[in-house]
Amino acid sequence: MCLWGVVRDRVTVVDQYLPVLGLLLLGIVFGAGSLIASKLLAPHQQATAAKVAPYECGIVPENDPPARFPVRFYLVAMIFIIFDIEIVFLFPFAVVFRQLGNFGIVEILVFSGVVFLSLAYLRSVGGLTWGPIKQLVKGMPARTSESTIARISADSSPERAA
Amino acid sequence: MLLAATTSFSLPSIDYLAILPELVLLGGALIVLLATSMVRGGLKRNIATAITMLFSAAALVTALVQWGRISAQGAETTIAHAIVLDGFSTFIGVTVLCALILSVLVGHDYLKREGIESSEYHILAMIAASGAVMMGQANDLIVIFLALEILSIALYVLVAFNPLRGESGESALKYYILGGFSSAIFVYGIALVYGATGSTNLGQIANFFSENQLIHPGLFDAGLALVLVGFAFKIAAVPFHVWTPDVYQGAPSPITGFMASVAKVGGFAALIRVTIAAMNSQSASWKPILYALAIATLLLGAIVALVQRDVKRMLAYSSISHAGYILIGVEVGTLAGTSAALFYLFAYSVMTVGSFAIVTVLGGDGDSDHDLGRYRGLARRQPWLGGALAVLLLAQAGIPFTSGFFAKLGVVSAAINGGSWPLALVAMIAAAIGVAFYLRVVVLAYMGSDEADATDTPSSQVNPQTRHAQSTLLLEGQSVATIPAVSVPLLSGIAIVLSVATTIFFGVIPGPLLDFAHSAAQLFLA
Repeated sequence: MCLWGVVRDRVTVVDQYLPVLGLLLLGIVFGAGSLIASKLLAPHQQATAAKVAPYECGIVPENDPPARFPVRFYLVAMIFIIFDIEIVFLFPFAVVFRQLGNFGIVEILVFSGVVFLSLAYLRSVGGLTWGPIKQLVKGMPARTSESTIARISADSSPERAA
Repeated sequence: MLLAATTSFSLPSIDYLAILPELVLLGGALIVLLATSMVRGGLKRNIATAITMLFSAAALVTALVQWGRISAQGAETTIAHAIVLDGFSTFIGVTVLCALILSVLVGHDYLKREGIESSEYHILAMIAASGAVMMGQANDLIVIFLALEILSIALYVLVAFNPLRGESGESALKYYILGGFSSAIFVYGIALVYGATGSTNLGQIANFFSENQLIHPGLFDAGLALVLVGFAFKIAAVPFHVWTPDVYQGAPSPITGFMASVAKVGGFAALIRVTIAAMNSQSASWKPILYALAIATLLLGAIVALVQRDVKRMLAYSSISHAGYILIGVEVGTLAGTSAALFYLFAYSVMTVGSFAIVTVLGGDGDSDHDLGRYRGLARRQPWLGGALAVLLLAQAGIPFTSGFFAKLGVVSAAINGGSWPLALVAMIAAAIGVAFYLRVVVLAYMGSDEADATDTPSSQVNPQTRHAQSTLLLEGQSVATIPAVSVPLLSGIAIVLSVATTIFFGVIPGPLLDFAHSAAQLFLA
């Protein structure tokens, strides 16, 4: 009887958190289920050399590509996120701007100003410049076979004491 | 329902003086950003540093103005009780801003040496500092989280801001992933604490506990534990310290000094406010956790530092050990404990930035030469630099006539008076071990010779480069002359002199700082 009372109390405390608990369980079930399903369903055969290559199709590369090349996509994605976040704040502001009054307008102007500054900065560092890159990182030494050998041996030497 | 709620919107009153240091820092960062974007070919480094110094100094002045106001009118909360302006927040602000000013001085010379003509360092340092200042003022768990993220995200980028430094990228990624993880744990803890107490506001949480008794404290304890994990990561307390040595080693040295001081000050500020201000009545829940963290942090930091060959890794473990001492002050939870922790934070951040300034200067081009061997005979080649290094390291060891002595004395005596004498005992043991590894560097700098190195270094730990260097030294038969003397740039020199002077001044005349820390803790607890 007493035990039941304790259990009932516990249950009422937990009650509000049942959805959270459910989500947690669902997450565990989904994660474990995906792993088990892929173990069961995946073809069990040894991967060939072509299979584990970065790209299965195309010409087999014979030498390493140049060390640095611009990856524009990530930059564009990050610029997009900045302005996406601006919209996230602007939209609710637009819904209630009458209630917020002058303070809200000033705040949103300051906020937009800060976001606009980031656009100005991106432009100045060439984040919006498309086409072939005219200036690479300054101070990069010319690549020769000797520099590559030096670099590889420097990379593989133990640099850190344990 | 949303519309119904917003029709009765009333603006919370804002006391702009309370948030003025943050506003000044952010304004400075935005002005440097604007100038960098508008000036063709980028802003000159000297101008960026000048603007940054101007705004940091202005923020420091506003913090002191705040202090005057608080002394006259007492503490207050503003912006719907989310921000608090009291002596504690002002002390944290002054500490962070001092560390910022010193770090900008050191960073300027670093940028010059490495040939980096960009203002990211200045902008991000100011933003990170504004986050740290805000952590001292936050009176709401959500605001603490916000400030923590402002601080952390700026630091993640700062660690990697030098694109030509390979190991920086690795350590920044490590810091970013682990830091993001700890932030997530922290937020989850906030959610559980909110569930248990019904509020994220620290004042309301304290009220809740004064009026209610938790029958089932499990939810609250779980939330508190997760929040403490988040803090323990930021202050690098064992066992959440694993990132520290790698990140401190990989980051550019001036950034390491900045990170070691500002991130730790911010983390401890929020930790002290959450535990002692909001959850003082629940000390039975958090004291044992901090007790265990303090012991583990003290001992592991001191013992592992003993075997480090890399000076930056050694200082990283020493900073872990320092976190243990400050944790003692927090664990005790009394007025004396809090003011001792505050004193420790100030003394620690000044000497840490100073130490890393010397490491930066000695690191040479590329900031890569941080082996202990580099410090052999330093005092003979460069008596002033060697002397400054000796003072700062001995201060970290807690030798009398330095501020480090009073810092350690403060937390240990607070622990004894507060009844935590086992903690005081562990602290003394850790201090004794600490003296060994600090003295090792000092002795090397003053008496370094080939014989000293032979006994000093187990051969298994010497990496090939060092062994090569040693054999050439032996062949040439002149141990000291082959390590070139470095010239100390002007601004770095000023930063080193300032931190040494501060360390010695508050070691001889600790009264003003002790009073400041004491009244800061007093106003905060009242």
